[in-house]
Amino acid sequence: MSRAMRFTGFVAGAAIALCPLASGAQEAPEPPEGFPERPLEILVPYGTGGGSDQLSRAMANAIEEVSGTSVQVTNAPGGGGLAAIPDFMAAPKDGYTMLESIDAVATNYVSGRMEQHPTEDIEPLAIAQITFNQLYIRPDEDRFTNFEEFVEYAQENPGVLTVANVGNQGSMERINMHLLEQDLDFETKQIAFDEPSERYASVIGGHIDVLFEQPGDVRQFLEAGQLKPIVTFFESRPDAFSEVPTHRQVGGDFTALNRFRGFWTHPDVPEERKRYLEALIGAAWETDSFQEFNRTKYMHLVNSYRDTEGATELINNAIETYTNVYEQIGIETRGD
Amino acid sequence: MENFLGGSAALFSDPVALTIFFGGLLGGLLFGAIPGINMLTLGAVILPFTVSMDPTNAIMLYSVIYTSGVFGGAITAILFNIPGSPENAPTALDGYPMTQQGLAAKAIGAAVLCSSAGGLCSVLLMMAATPAIAGWAISAFGPPEIFGLVCLGLAMSASVGARDLWHGLLSVTLGMLIASIGTDPADGVPRFAFGFQFLLAGISFIPLVLGLFAVSEIFNQAEERINLGGERPKVSMELPSLLEFWRMKVTVIRSVIIGFFAGILPGIGAVLAAFLSYNEAVRWGGKNSRFGKGELKGVVASETANNAATGAAMIPLLALGLPGGALTAMMLAVFQLHGMEPGPLVFITSSDLVWTVFAAMFFANLLILALGYFQTKVVVHVLRIPFPLLGPGILLVATVGAYALRHLSLDVWVMFIAGAAGFLLRRSGYSVAGVILGVILGGIGESSFTKSMQMLDYNPLLLFTRPITALLVGVALLTIGLRLVEAVRSSRRHRVALANGSQSD
Repeated sequence: MSRAMRFTGFVAGAAIALCPLASGAQEAPEPPEGFPERPLEILVPYGTGGGSDQLSRAMANAIEEVSGTSVQVTNAPGGGGLAAIPDFMAAPKDGYTMLESIDAVATNYVSGRMEQHPTEDIEPLAIAQITFNQLYIRPDEDRFTNFEEFVEYAQENPGVLTVANVGNQGSMERINMHLLEQDLDFETKQIAFDEPSERYASVIGGHIDVLFEQPGDVRQFLEAGQLKPIVTFFESRPDAFSEVPTHRQVGGDFTALNRFRGFWTHPDVPEERKRYLEALIGAAWETDSFQEFNRTKYMHLVNSYRDTEGATELINNAIETYTNVYEQIGIETRGD
Repeated sequence: MENFLGGSAALFSDPVALTIFFGGLLGGLLFGAIPGINMLTLGAVILPFTVSMDPTNAIMLYSVIYTSGVFGGAITAILFNIPGSPENAPTALDGYPMTQQGLAAKAIGAAVLCSSAGGLCSVLLMMAATPAIAGWAISAFGPPEIFGLVCLGLAMSASVGARDLWHGLLSVTLGMLIASIGTDPADGVPRFAFGFQFLLAGISFIPLVLGLFAVSEIFNQAEERINLGGERPKVSMELPSLLEFWRMKVTVIRSVIIGFFAGILPGIGAVLAAFLSYNEAVRWGGKNSRFGKGELKGVVASETANNAATGAAMIPLLALGLPGGALTAMMLAVFQLHGMEPGPLVFITSSDLVWTVFAAMFFANLLILALGYFQTKVVVHVLRIPFPLLGPGILLVATVGAYALRHLSLDVWVMFIAGAAGFLLRRSGYSVAGVILGVILGGIGESSFTKSMQMLDYNPLLLFTRPITALLVGVALLTIGLRLVEAVRSSRRHRVALANGSQSD
């Protein structure tokens, strides 16, 4: 089955060359008059310890490093990333509060769960991570040891195997799984977790069978031998996972949707402050310490930085892509 | 052992960590000793300021305050019959009569020694047991089991600090209602926000804690200023002789065991540990014992058990991410402020932090021995600080703390409203600790229930096909059921007694 799943144009990261990035010390951008006079805040709509949280804390440290302004990270998990949106919209529109979020802003907007348009009602400053996904199992799992056996087991026991993810219906996680299951004809049960540590513990502890996650978020568990990747959702095998087959190689005939994570501000924030924050994130991203963080999170495998303009384009394309996918697989969109 | 040495080295090689360690130790001792104001007040006030600390130091600070705060209240309980904190209440039952008989030094000596001994045993048991329990928990506790444990915790929380079961249950329910304000964790549907955008994100935990614990305490104190009476007694400390200590070995060992197991249960903690242990000491004491009239074993039972509960209370927090009491609930908030989630994985992801905390609690218990002497000299003077100076000072720091975290004046409002509510709740016999546990456990419980339902095809009855969940929910229902029967019976007895009384008039 290929139908119209072969999207050209945008699919986050798919067309991106696998190129390691140059890094270097960065000059701090010139701040506007009277800003910032107190610590900045990054509001993270997911729990502590997961990818969004790790990114935000690394970014906070890098911003502190380049500007001397301290940055506080606040977690407000719940509702597949939606619970924090009201808090962000209610915060003063003075540029002190930034929202971290992920591709869920696009999926939630398209499905109508989120009122705010992710490039109009909230304004992207920059995308700081674009990364691919994998499925993981326990290394001591005895019902299946690789992707092929996993699919066989799932085909013999439809709807029995559980998959831990972080998204709601129509999310990047569920769409990727849906497309793979459709192409390979198997069925699993999706369970959404808002707290990352609980998600990982559930799989490692044997309560949930499979984990859907990005490799950087679970690196420590991969290194400790507590999780084992069985398939990579990406066009080609990344060097770090050369032994793991891609979804294309196992028979998935679709362009995988990648995770992107970035930072937003409110459109009513004064223009000069928005441009300063954009420059600040850009400079922080280039610091040696942030680049080192990127390497530990396998984030150097793809060119994963977008400034405001690039981010806006990427998010608008994502909205279009998800709208198309939803229509094809029969999920209601906000227009329906 | 290697881990413990590593943790100790981390603690003693860092001057900042060491300063925080001693600050916490003294802070806990002083706040524990000032009647009315206790370590929860201190914990609430410093919570917002821990954001800027290194996460290990912040968690370590709370564990040290916990250790020394539980002991701190013993001195005033013995000298003035005013327990610094509720967990020292049974200490006063025999400690104060001893003071009246001129045996204060001996009572204090025994309290210091036994707090330290109880605490050390507990820390050693905790170090031995927590990693194993965490390892086991990861495979035994999935979302349905966590939900079962939360049910048990909520059932137990109903007996913390309230006047009776009804007040306890209502306190916990109020907490759960507060937790449900905002946006639901599964689908992002607004609840109880009444269209008010500030409520969509829920009630922020830290201003709530500040209000319920610090502000309501100040209001309370301002209303009924404690009169300590004229002369400050001259105090000294006399450690019991080895022979005396040996004679009390059964009491000490029994109290350690009771304290440890009471501490390990979510929602119970040090208060119940002290009361249970005192009860058992009386029951085992025989006819000729002088409990209530100045029996040293009474002081020993209570002080050993309340410190033994502190190490144990860390086990559910670290191994499962479930706080056992109000101070461990604040520790959970400290973890979250620093981007960490305690739970089985914390031993994999932050093993250094865990062992530094274990080492700090060990040395804090050891140092109680030395500081106990110092404290008996100092505490009497501290009690001379007039409340009109102390109260507003704490209020000021709390206000700064509530605002500092998010720079929203809304949080200051939340703090004062929670303070006024906490003041009224306490006066009417409700428990603010029960409210806080309701908030925390309610949130965790809802999230684990949502996941359990996804796993179990939305059939709640399937929860009972999982043995641990069935056991935990069963025990929770039984606990509430038995206590309800007891409450109904005692109120019926009360009514009958009243009826008989009015007839005979």
